[in-house]
Amino acid sequence: MIHLEKISINQLICLVILTQVGVSVLTIPYAQIRYSGNDSWLSILIGGVIAQAVILIIYQLGKRYSDRPLPQYISAIVGKPLGSVMNFLFAAYFAENIFMVTISYSDVISRWVLFETPWFVLIGVSFTIGAYIASSTLRSMATITQMIMLLFLICFVIIIISGMGKGDLRHFFPIGTHGIGPLIKGAVPSFWLYSGYELLLYAFPFVKSRKKKDIVMAMSAANGFTTFFYMLITVIATYNFSESQLKSIPEPLVFILRKFRWPVVQSLDILFLTIWLSVVTVTVYVYLFLSARYLAFIGGKEIRYHPFLVWILAVVCFGFGLGGYDRQWQSRFSDYHNIATAIIIAIVPTILLLISLARGKAVGG
Amino acid sequence: MKADRSLDKNEKSLQEILFHSSDFKSSDFVAGDRHFRLFYLDTMIELAVVQEHIIRPLLGNADVSVREAVSILEYGETGLITVASTALVTGKTVVQIEGEAKFYLLGTELDKERAVNIPLNERVLRGSNQALIENLDTNLNLMRKQIASPDLVVKYYQVGRRSNTKVAVLYLRSLANEDVLKEFDRRIDSIDIDYVEAPGFIQEMIEDKKFSMFPKMLVTERPDRVRSYLMDGKIAIITDGSPDCLIVPVSFWAFFQTPDDYHIGWLFGSFIRFLRILCFIITISLPGAYVALVTFDPRILPFEFALTLQSSMQYIAMPPVLEAVTMLVILEILREATVRLPSSISNTVGVVGAIVIGATVVESNLISNMMVVIVALTAISSFLIPSYEMSSAARLLSFPFIVMSSIFGLIGLELSYLLVLTHLARINTMGIPYFYAGISGDTIKDTLFRGPIRSLKKRPKESLAKDEMRISARRERTE
Repeated sequence: MIHLEKISINQLICLVILTQVGVSVLTIPYAQIRYSGNDSWLSILIGGVIAQAVILIIYQLGKRYSDRPLPQYISAIVGKPLGSVMNFLFAAYFAENIFMVTISYSDVISRWVLFETPWFVLIGVSFTIGAYIASSTLRSMATITQMIMLLFLICFVIIIISGMGKGDLRHFFPIGTHGIGPLIKGAVPSFWLYSGYELLLYAFPFVKSRKKKDIVMAMSAANGFTTFFYMLITVIATYNFSESQLKSIPEPLVFILRKFRWPVVQSLDILFLTIWLSVVTVTVYVYLFLSARYLAFIGGKEIRYHPFLVWILAVVCFGFGLGGYDRQWQSRFSDYHNIATAIIIAIVPTILLLISLARGKAVGG
Repeated sequence: MKADRSLDKNEKSLQEILFHSSDFKSSDFVAGDRHFRLFYLDTMIELAVVQEHIIRPLLGNADVSVREAVSILEYGETGLITVASTALVTGKTVVQIEGEAKFYLLGTELDKERAVNIPLNERVLRGSNQALIENLDTNLNLMRKQIASPDLVVKYYQVGRRSNTKVAVLYLRSLANEDVLKEFDRRIDSIDIDYVEAPGFIQEMIEDKKFSMFPKMLVTERPDRVRSYLMDGKIAIITDGSPDCLIVPVSFWAFFQTPDDYHIGWLFGSFIRFLRILCFIITISLPGAYVALVTFDPRILPFEFALTLQSSMQYIAMPPVLEAVTMLVILEILREATVRLPSSISNTVGVVGAIVIGATVVESNLISNMMVVIVALTAISSFLIPSYEMSSAARLLSFPFIVMSSIFGLIGLELSYLLVLTHLARINTMGIPYFYAGISGDTIKDTLFRGPIRSLKKRPKESLAKDEMRISARRERTE
């Protein structure tokens, strides 16, 4: 009620980092290895640079309409009917993203930690928690995310400690043998990993900052950190396994954690997967929140029942998720998901910015 | 009802208003040509004051007015009988002169109060040893002495249709946030109940979210603590008849502060602050974590340790969940018993609890000795939390944690953390967020740790003080 609806720069950084990292951390660098082999870490880096470029585009777009979130000003750019369609597409994309993240992590959990828990209980619990958090305000979510950041840092330490075990530096050499082409090809699957910064499309007007420039600095810092984190994981994976080994290990990180023994904790992988659940939850609730917000602006007037929308979305996703335990189907679905990601978070903002530039000074911006 | 000129008629009406209460008395005396009559409740007045400061001067000065004669500070006049009757029940002596349709109301109330004592429920090593008492005036006096500044505003409210309990609200004009004050004012005015039992009733009547385990108002009996919060720009509520002061709006972290933190050096202060928050986490999650580890993931534990656990649980018939719940309930029973019993017997309960339940239960293989250790640790950790309300909330929370852990193992434990965190992040007090992440920027200095006084430049965020700076910046701003 009292001028505290905004989030701080610090909270923005936490939100973006934790939305970016998620389930995909476990599979890095499985997708990249196919193209760029032991140079995967370079592909990851290139992916981060592309993400940075998209962040700049989103920032320029947000700056032009710095008093409203995207779902509100989208109609000002592309017109009313198309605006509604776009809002719906965004909402659908985010909902699909939640669905994707939840079923992949539930799959991981059911394979590594809770073998006997029924599938519907697992995803039911995930969606319930996600929806409960997402039905609160952006500020509450930011506070929760800040606390989860602590857990993330614990995971970070676990990864570093366990990754520094026995390995071989020679796995990295020779650098650059695969050539530029494969590196770029490997960068494409890396690019999906960075999705999460599109949060700024919505959050831009709600960030409390002295200068607008602070926002882009914060976003870059967050993206930079994520890039560093992903590269670290790739480096650790490459350090521990050779290229041919990596090609057949879909979840290298879990194996690295499993083989490391601490005097206090025997199987770090269980501990890590457990703690990592909350990091994944951040992705789920942020997207659930965004999806509901975009959905709220689908008609002419804003729909004011945010918690209601969130729960509806969660129930719908849960319904679809019940059939999602088929892994083959999951991997096919993720191909579609990747294309959708590229379109929604990179191409659409670019087009919007171009149209907006072509139309000249923003209306009421 | 208007007063009559006749003394007898008035006495009769007063008696009717007071339903012929037996302690209603009257007394006549004549000075010169004036006939006085005193009305009073003999249970409510200080006899010596009436004799020395009303009767004697009136007898001695037959020709001056009552106002000039009596040496009583609290003086009033009224022509209404109803006003006079209200004055009577608050301990005033009502004087009337035959032939005048007017009452003189003279303050002569008897104050039965205990002396200002040392705090019993909030012990500290260093710092003041005064505690608030039941008398509102004494409490306000203590507070005024703590903050000798015209900035300190005291505002009275009457709460309770029948009891008319006096509630005093204190704040610093230059610090307390107007919006919070307005909101508070609105809420306390909207209380409609026949009587209030302070501070519990007031607390519940003006709270935001009714269903919450966490205390949202700080209860304290220490004037120095009240002062420190007033100085942060918060509002203190003192009720007549209760030695407890309520403080709003507070954040989650305030429940882990004690005056001690600021008296011993900041390094040790930070250490114990951190320890308390750690103990909060231990209290809510240790039994749950144990249950999760032994039932789901003993793989995580080192092999030797797992063997020790195994041997301790070998002959136990109950599953760990039941063990944990049983022991925690027993703990609560013991705790409640020691609070209720007279102090001479409560020692016995301690012995019985420790020996019978601690030792015998293990020997008879009802509960594993590891579980006894866990529960004892939980109990002791919970008592480290300075606020009684918060420590009860923590112990209560440990039950759902156990249940979740027994269903989902470590993941259940983590989900419970997330739920509690979300719940905390969603609560508001007086429209202000209750929970701040204690890790970011300036807030960390007085939440997880207690920074050096010099570095505590800003007031806490949640009080939304008008003047945010505590140190040095003030001068620059006023210039």
